[in-house]
Amino acid sequence: MSDTRHRTPGPGVSGPSLTVRPLEGCGGVRVAGEIGLATHSIWERVLEQAVRGGESVYYLELSEVTFVDVAGAGALVAAAERLEDGRRFVVRRPPPALRRVLKMLWPHLPAIEVATS
Amino acid sequence: MSAAAEPLETVQEHFVHPALFYRDEGEYLDGTVSFVREGLAAGEPVAVAVPGDRLRLIRDALGADADAVRLLDMREAGRNPGRIIPGVLRAFADTCPAGQRVRIIGEPIWAGRSAAEYPACVQHEALINAAFQGRTVTILCPYDAVRLPGHVLADAYATHPTVIPAGSRTVRDSEAYAPDAVVARYNEPLPLVADAMTVPFAAESLPSARHAATEEGRRLGLTGITLEDLALATAELTTNSVLHGGGAGVLRIWAEGGHVLCEVRDGGRLTDPLAGRRPASRDQRGGRGLLLVNLIADLVRVHTGDEGTTIRCWFAR
Repeated sequence: MSDTRHRTPGPGVSGPSLTVRPLEGCGGVRVAGEIGLATHSIWERVLEQAVRGGESVYYLELSEVTFVDVAGAGALVAAAERLEDGRRFVVRRPPPALRRVLKMLWPHLPAIEVATS
Repeated sequence: MSAAAEPLETVQEHFVHPALFYRDEGEYLDGTVSFVREGLAAGEPVAVAVPGDRLRLIRDALGADADAVRLLDMREAGRNPGRIIPGVLRAFADTCPAGQRVRIIGEPIWAGRSAAEYPACVQHEALINAAFQGRTVTILCPYDAVRLPGHVLADAYATHPTVIPAGSRTVRDSEAYAPDAVVARYNEPLPLVADAMTVPFAAESLPSARHAATEEGRRLGLTGITLEDLALATAELTTNSVLHGGGAGVLRIWAEGGHVLCEVRDGGRLTDPLAGRRPASRDQRGGRGLLLVNLIADLVRVHTGDEGTTIRCWFAR
């Protein structure tokens, strides 16, 4: 029967969340969770704060982020565009989806450095 | 000053989009190489995007001049016809100085394009006209008059304002030019597939729908970057349904031959025929999801109407 292949996510599915903690020892945050429709507003607040800060390098530690959609990547790009000259984001260990989207849609962005370690 | 002394630009239409019909290698090279050389002589940026075997023919015929031309294998760069405008044609034209004429040879339709691909190919050819309206760009589209079926050759007369008949060097107006009618005619229904994994979704279940797609894609043989691409396409299409397609939809994943297919149906209607075919700009927020799907999938087919919208995409496994 095809019933086993027909999946209806029940109402008990817990909503996705994004947790944000400050990084110790350098300017930036450690983000954990998924960046999608339900968490865009949290992600945009993180980026807004990053733009307002004065650090020349702002670290976004994303090793515990499992997914970023196009709108989430676009928000990162828009924030990086607003950085004053000489400031930049370092995105640490992002999920494959973010690297893929940046490469496909915005391949030439000087203000975002993607670090794999 | 006589009229004959007027520079070509004031006489020529801004956007020029002829179909070039050829019957053999000789006619192919005759039409394409002269087009490239004219452009180079006029100092125009020139790109050639044709299937790899024919790209080699043109490159060899150009000799040292080939170094000044951007050469792309259309089987790769234009595998999905939906990405040719943003990823090939505008990707090249937009890097050239505004106002300067740009020349491109684009051959998106070759013998061997599948029945699933063809409607997307011909819609792409029709939409080039709207995408480049008013721009100083010339796009020459070669058609294999021997190996392509008659209806494909007839469609080329409807998607191109001008044509160069086989064996001719003269550009003629196409009496049959009707690009909007072509887009509408090939807006073909995509019938339901019986044995697909089926996941209804709404806003709160977007993440679980994506997880289900990834699991099924892995089970059906996708790995690595292609599995990531399936997850991204699923996320973008389902999110679009939630935001623009009535708040909910149904996701289906299945395999067909060498591909894994991902399909999203919703109750919305896609009104912008160029959606997903404009390059990402830095100042525009949102609306880039369908563009990404076009760039990463091997084929994207769309059916839209009053009864809803279906978007189906193919990923090679």
